[in-house]
Amino acid sequence: MKSITVALAGNPNVGKTSILNHLAGTSLKVGNWPGVTVEKREGKTKFWDYEIKLIDLPGVYTLEPISEDEWVAYKYITEERPDLILNVIETPNMERDLLLTVELLEHEVPMILVLNMSDEAQKLGIEINEKWLSELLGVRVLKTNGRTGEGVKAILPNIVEALSLREKPKVLKYSDKIEEILEKIREREDETKAELIKKLLEAKEFSKYREDIRRMFGKDAHEVIKDERYAKAHGLYREVVSRKALTSRDITDSLDKVLLHPLLGIPLFFFIMFLLFKVSFDFSAPLMDWVDGFIGSFLAPIVSEVIRSLGLGDWIERLFSEAVVGGVGFVLTFVPLIAVIYFLLALLEFSGYLPRVAFLMDRFMHRIGLHGKSLVPLLLGFGCNVPAIVATRTLETKRDKLLVIAMIPFMSCPARLVVFSFFAVIFFKNPAVVIFSLYIFGILVALMTAFLLRKTTFKGSLYHFVMELPPYRLPTLRLIFRVVWAYVKDFLYRAGTLIFAASVLIWFLLNLPPGVKNPSESLAAHLGRAIAPLFKPLGLDDWRMATSLIPAFLAREIVLSSMGTIYASEIERQEQEFKLSEALREQVVGLGRALKDATLNVFRPVPTAFEVEEEGTESLKSLIASSLSPASALAFMVFLLLYTSCLGTVAVMWREVGKKFALLFLVYSLLVGWTAGFILYRVGGLIWNT
Amino acid sequence: MNLEEVRPGQEVTILELVGKEDILKKVEAMGLRRGRRVSLLQKVGRNLLLKVDNSRVVISKDLARNIEVQ
Repeated sequence: MKSITVALAGNPNVGKTSILNHLAGTSLKVGNWPGVTVEKREGKTKFWDYEIKLIDLPGVYTLEPISEDEWVAYKYITEERPDLILNVIETPNMERDLLLTVELLEHEVPMILVLNMSDEAQKLGIEINEKWLSELLGVRVLKTNGRTGEGVKAILPNIVEALSLREKPKVLKYSDKIEEILEKIREREDETKAELIKKLLEAKEFSKYREDIRRMFGKDAHEVIKDERYAKAHGLYREVVSRKALTSRDITDSLDKVLLHPLLGIPLFFFIMFLLFKVSFDFSAPLMDWVDGFIGSFLAPIVSEVIRSLGLGDWIERLFSEAVVGGVGFVLTFVPLIAVIYFLLALLEFSGYLPRVAFLMDRFMHRIGLHGKSLVPLLLGFGCNVPAIVATRTLETKRDKLLVIAMIPFMSCPARLVVFSFFAVIFFKNPAVVIFSLYIFGILVALMTAFLLRKTTFKGSLYHFVMELPPYRLPTLRLIFRVVWAYVKDFLYRAGTLIFAASVLIWFLLNLPPGVKNPSESLAAHLGRAIAPLFKPLGLDDWRMATSLIPAFLAREIVLSSMGTIYASEIERQEQEFKLSEALREQVVGLGRALKDATLNVFRPVPTAFEVEEEGTESLKSLIASSLSPASALAFMVFLLLYTSCLGTVAVMWREVGKKFALLFLVYSLLVGWTAGFILYRVGGLIWNT
Repeated sequence: MNLEEVRPGQEVTILELVGKEDILKKVEAMGLRRGRRVSLLQKVGRNLLLKVDNSRVVISKDLARNIEVQ
């Protein structure tokens, strides 16, 4: 089997990654804004007798890189020389995109042109004579629609054919004068145009030719080469593109008139964010209740029955009901919330609205010394801090990048939301207000951090703002579900590994030394009591809270699974008679009711989730309610909001910026979290005690 | 005049990009170059939203000042 390396190159947000996903069956992250792909990614596929390695590169407008992601693409194309370049073009913006095509052709690597988004071009009245384009350049030209995958199938056979027939693009010809000079500096037969131009523009020994050019053209050699490239791109465009005048209005322009309105734009943004959270809570609340019941009164009794009938012993049954059901099962009840919030975030991301927020909010951001563009990674942080930190690679300066990375961990992610939604319901009358305030508080701490860093370490001035806004697009449902499933799978995976391991560990600590009767005399309690003095000023001197916090440095949800495990040993288990067929019917009916409630909830104008319901006396909620005060619960949530208790985030900071930065930041976040918790506990105590 | 002085809704032709900064090369590659028609869609804060061909480009006013238009 022969192996072929194919690089996907093109301008930002033209659909390179979507095409790769269709070709190789991968599910690399896609989105509708420029800069989703910031590093080199790979997909592999087999076709006929070939193994085809597809390399996805970050988008570039030109081979003159500035930001980190642009350097990745530039280096790959100029240094690694793939067997073939798949040049993806956004057909509606063909003239702009052809500049990069010309620059790529200078490297004289076999190439195939992919005219993507051909459906959008058609709607805009743009027609391409692809036969003529193919003849002019000596490359194959294919039409695709990366959104639906139409036309993508033809790519692989064309790659293989083009390579086995050794097809080479025609060598580009610039104006006679330039060609003459380039021939003079040729030293080897096989030098490419790109190499010749590089020598002409940079090599010391050829400075004479640069002088000549300046004399002939009255301009720098750089300028002249640039003009030649633009002229070539423009010439190609004129040759192959014809436009019909269409009267239909562009939907993007109409939407932007409202969504980017100088006065209405910002209130609309806040309204959209409010809707996002309202819908996620209201829709998921009934489903979460259902999952809770499904695990507690359906799955758990079945497995217990099996364990008992196998005669595996009492302690296994307890391990199962306390660590697996109480700990892991408890965290699993939040799956609906996670799924719904990612569904809505994905919708926002694919619609093209996300980068527009950067444009809208730049007004405020630049006052505090930050770029509007840095808002894209910050907003991604609400989804998950880890990819948000990676996304800072699109920022043009190191200063902006570090500032934004130091802010992202304070953007509250769904893992924190899960913890908040649990505590807020127990302790506060208006849980929605409390949760919203926590989000705002995180943003304020992020701003304060940026302010401090700017006054001390990163003084420099602001960089210019340049960004492309994509057209609004409607994603396919399949794509959205794929993204949601990826996040849910990740969450389930963590529940099955990390969270499971932490719950089992906690359970064993609770039952050691052997024969311990009361959990408060166990090893876990001793450990908790040892560190409890640290948290006493936050009102968290209960060993059960302190012990839960220890394994939570891995991921925040673990605080819940640990608490679930610890308290599960105190909850009296009620033995109920269990009949499989009846229980099954109950679950199915319950699911139907939950779905109906969820749908109805979405259309209610006021948030309905979190309506506090009375529960049985011995539930987890009531046990926690009795062991904490509202002030200490608030301190607990704030501590968990600010302290970077997430191994993934620390690891990605380490990789992106370095060990020192990651560890210093961790200490900083601990201090900030503790201090804020302490202050709120004191203030809260004054309010709630009087 | 320069691009910063253009009013929303107006359509102009780019005459020249002044300056040697690297970022101007990117701006050019994004389609804002000599001879191209651009229309100004919105002005929000320190930024301009422009339409060039079928793409929408945001640039800050400090950059717009470097672009001569007619």
